[in-house]
Amino acid sequence: MEDDTVETVSFTVNGLPQRVEAYSSTPLLWVLRDHLEMTGTKYGCGIAQCGACTVHVNGEAVRSCQLPLSGLAGADVTTIEGLASHGGATLQRLWAEMNVPQCGYCQAGMLMAAADLLKKTPKPSDPEIDAVMTNICRCGTYPRIRAAIKRAAGVAA
Amino acid sequence: MNQLALAPQLDRRQFLVTTGVVAGGMALALSPADAASAMAPPPAPWGPDAAQGFEFTPWIEIAADDSVTVRVPNPESGNGTMTQMAMNVAEELGCAWKNIRVEIASIHRNYAENRVYTKGSLPFFGGHGTDKVRMAHTMRLGASARERLKAAAAARWKVPASEITAAESMLSHTASKRSLRYGEVAAEAAKISLLAEPELKPQAEWTLIGKASPAKLSIPAIADGTAVFGIDVKLPGMVHAALKQVPVMGGRLKSFKPDAVKHMPGVRAVIAIDPAKSGKSPVKDETSFGLGNSEAQHAVAVVADHFWQAKMALEMLPVEWDLGSGTHYRDQTDIYEGMRSIRDVGESDEVLKKGDVSTATGKRIVEAEYLSPYGENAVMEPLGGTALVTSDTCEVWCATQDTMQAFWVSVDETGLAPAQVKIHGTAMGGNFGRRTQAEDIRMAVAVARQYPGVPVKTIWTREEMFRQGRYRTPISTKFRAVLDDASGLPQAVSGDLCFAGDRKLFQLTQGYADPPYFNSGAIPHVKLTTINFPVHVLNGAYRGPCFNSNAFITETFIDECAHAAGIDPVEYRLALLAKWEKPWSDVLKLAAEKAGWGQKLPRGEGMGIAITNWPMATIPHFGSTMATVARVAVSKDGVLAVKRIDIAFDCGKVANADAVRAQIEGGTLFGLNMTLNEEVTIRNGAIVEGNYDEYPMLRMGDSLPEIHIHFEALSGHDRFDLMGELPVGPVGPAVGNAIYSATGKRLRATPFRKQDLSWT
Repeated sequence: MEDDTVETVSFTVNGLPQRVEAYSSTPLLWVLRDHLEMTGTKYGCGIAQCGACTVHVNGEAVRSCQLPLSGLAGADVTTIEGLASHGGATLQRLWAEMNVPQCGYCQAGMLMAAADLLKKTPKPSDPEIDAVMTNICRCGTYPRIRAAIKRAAGVAA
Repeated sequence: MNQLALAPQLDRRQFLVTTGVVAGGMALALSPADAASAMAPPPAPWGPDAAQGFEFTPWIEIAADDSVTVRVPNPESGNGTMTQMAMNVAEELGCAWKNIRVEIASIHRNYAENRVYTKGSLPFFGGHGTDKVRMAHTMRLGASARERLKAAAAARWKVPASEITAAESMLSHTASKRSLRYGEVAAEAAKISLLAEPELKPQAEWTLIGKASPAKLSIPAIADGTAVFGIDVKLPGMVHAALKQVPVMGGRLKSFKPDAVKHMPGVRAVIAIDPAKSGKSPVKDETSFGLGNSEAQHAVAVVADHFWQAKMALEMLPVEWDLGSGTHYRDQTDIYEGMRSIRDVGESDEVLKKGDVSTATGKRIVEAEYLSPYGENAVMEPLGGTALVTSDTCEVWCATQDTMQAFWVSVDETGLAPAQVKIHGTAMGGNFGRRTQAEDIRMAVAVARQYPGVPVKTIWTREEMFRQGRYRTPISTKFRAVLDDASGLPQAVSGDLCFAGDRKLFQLTQGYADPPYFNSGAIPHVKLTTINFPVHVLNGAYRGPCFNSNAFITETFIDECAHAAGIDPVEYRLALLAKWEKPWSDVLKLAAEKAGWGQKLPRGEGMGIAITNWPMATIPHFGSTMATVARVAVSKDGVLAVKRIDIAFDCGKVANADAVRAQIEGGTLFGLNMTLNEEVTIRNGAIVEGNYDEYPMLRMGDSLPEIHIHFEALSGHDRFDLMGELPVGPVGPAVGNAIYSATGKRLRATPFRKQDLSWT
């Protein structure tokens, strides 16, 4: 990391242009949290295991802890703060109605993953849900997450 | 370093608003909707530092717009404790549920204002949120506020208060057809003192508790990303710290070279933490469990503008440690062997004795030993906290299970007077016991003390979390039963249990010494002992401390006795529970019936059952009792699928049925993960696992069981007992017992994933 340089990169977050100067290696996760003060995206593991940091980049759900600033030029990023205006409002409403979260720390990532799933697969089967919803929840809210996704999709529980 | 010397004078809630506005200034000319959603300042989850607005008590504020803010000293950890407290208040206050919001009480007010948050209530943890003491206390607060609202309306209308009704945030006088909103008289009502406090209404008249199941009030902010967890706190001028504690517990810092990283971008300071330099509270602390398990660890930290800079510099920092004597444990099996050895030859404490086990005469002996390993709480939100320390103040923003503990740890670490210390509780990304002792908050304060005048946010990396845990206490138990020749039930049971770890607070015998089998007279001769194997690895609170292990061990052993006697495990347990309170048998029977117990299953499939109580099975009509039945399938090459779980329980009554259901679902999956997957291992005294890739967690794609929760065994006894810890206990032994039924393989240790389940 000694040769890590500081660079300035422009991209958009939830439709707003942003310019950030930081270490090239700074993950999008920390760019969002520390530089742009958007803390809805969570740090959980830093190694793409837990999915708490999931955001959408150019329309794809990604683990933001793995995407360095240097790869962000021109990217279009959507975070949990912008999910309601990017097709996630129904999921967010059902999350509350169906009492899905417990501690809630993993749920921003869960919602971002679920929104991406429903955009690409509007009526997902259980195996399709399993394949995409790989995030970790320590509280054990998985049954409710599945139920809420199915209700949002209008498929039988 | 002193650019923010003014910071302590400003109001922290104002800070959040200010930073939000500043951030909003960067929004340029874009869609206002996006700008609003992206840049809206999050509301502070903590309450004010002193009385504000129309405060009826430090617990309740009613605003002119009718909104009711309930300030709760027990932070929300996901089990709904704050929502339950609000339900209790609303039940008596008669406000519309939509008008309710909750804040985490600022616990420093407790010290400044005559113990307002601890008198009549218990300030610690969330799991006890529905207990009788807190329920009655919060209902009284609501009733009192309601009567004061009535008195204020009565004064306005010049009618007797007794003629006024209060419901749905409206005060009404039927005879004169007048009405007022709560908010319209809140200012006057807040100033009224009642001559006598009102009686609580009878349970039959409750409309919320036991009737409604509102979702947690915390959820909307979680779902839109505005919830403020400990890691999310923002303060002007705030800097970030990354922390590394000595890799082997009990070791010390030998040397480090700050100059090697001081030039790196953003780096402001490189700090060493020496526990000997911790302060000392100038007065006796008022914690629930003392400060003894909150001590600082030898550590280094880098303070930088941004966390990523701090983390990178810390990784580059040359550090030499004196790792101490813990290194002589080559791996965890050295510890397990030590436990076995001291258990069998050491001087134990007798924790239960009935009759005389040496007089038992049966021919069938059941003897086995069991082991539960180290485990990490693995809360999703990393530990840490934000602290601003000056020469005469300390202010901390943090996620804590116990605000009182966080307060007194901060007092203790700084050595400041309690009146100089403030704690602001935040949303909490899981606890499961990990945030009870507040040693992470001590470390955050210890870092900030060395960078005074500036708010410093310390964040533990996931690797630091795994390797600096306060782990599930390992337990090694040997059980021996002499079965009665006629009945097959044990005439005598002897047990010898060894804990590993020096922390007595987390060496509990629940699930071992308290089951009714051993205490109701069902087994005439019982002798149970405990002993401790001292070791450098720190043990701590892990959801249902020790109970989670003892439940597995005892319920596996009883199952072994049933099979040795040739008696169905449900019938066997019913026989052993015959002298005990009926709800236990009811719970057991209901779970078995709903699961279809007794049906013929093909080889490789099986059912198992277990029953436990938390927190104290020896007291009738106390705590919560749960029976879990697991149905499993094991392929010949040993691949396990837990297909279905059926659960019956008795906690007396339920206050919020969906909240109880959520705790049972989540707790069962937690217990399943603990049983199937979890073990923290050791190499040369240090913890091996550093992240989730080495510590597998169940995910949605792991063929999770269907979970069926049955409410019909509720006894209706007048208590609303706890449900946070209990479900973690019975699921593991139920699955293990089911595996035995399916394959004939008896699993006497966890995690199951490390054992060969293949069969022929």
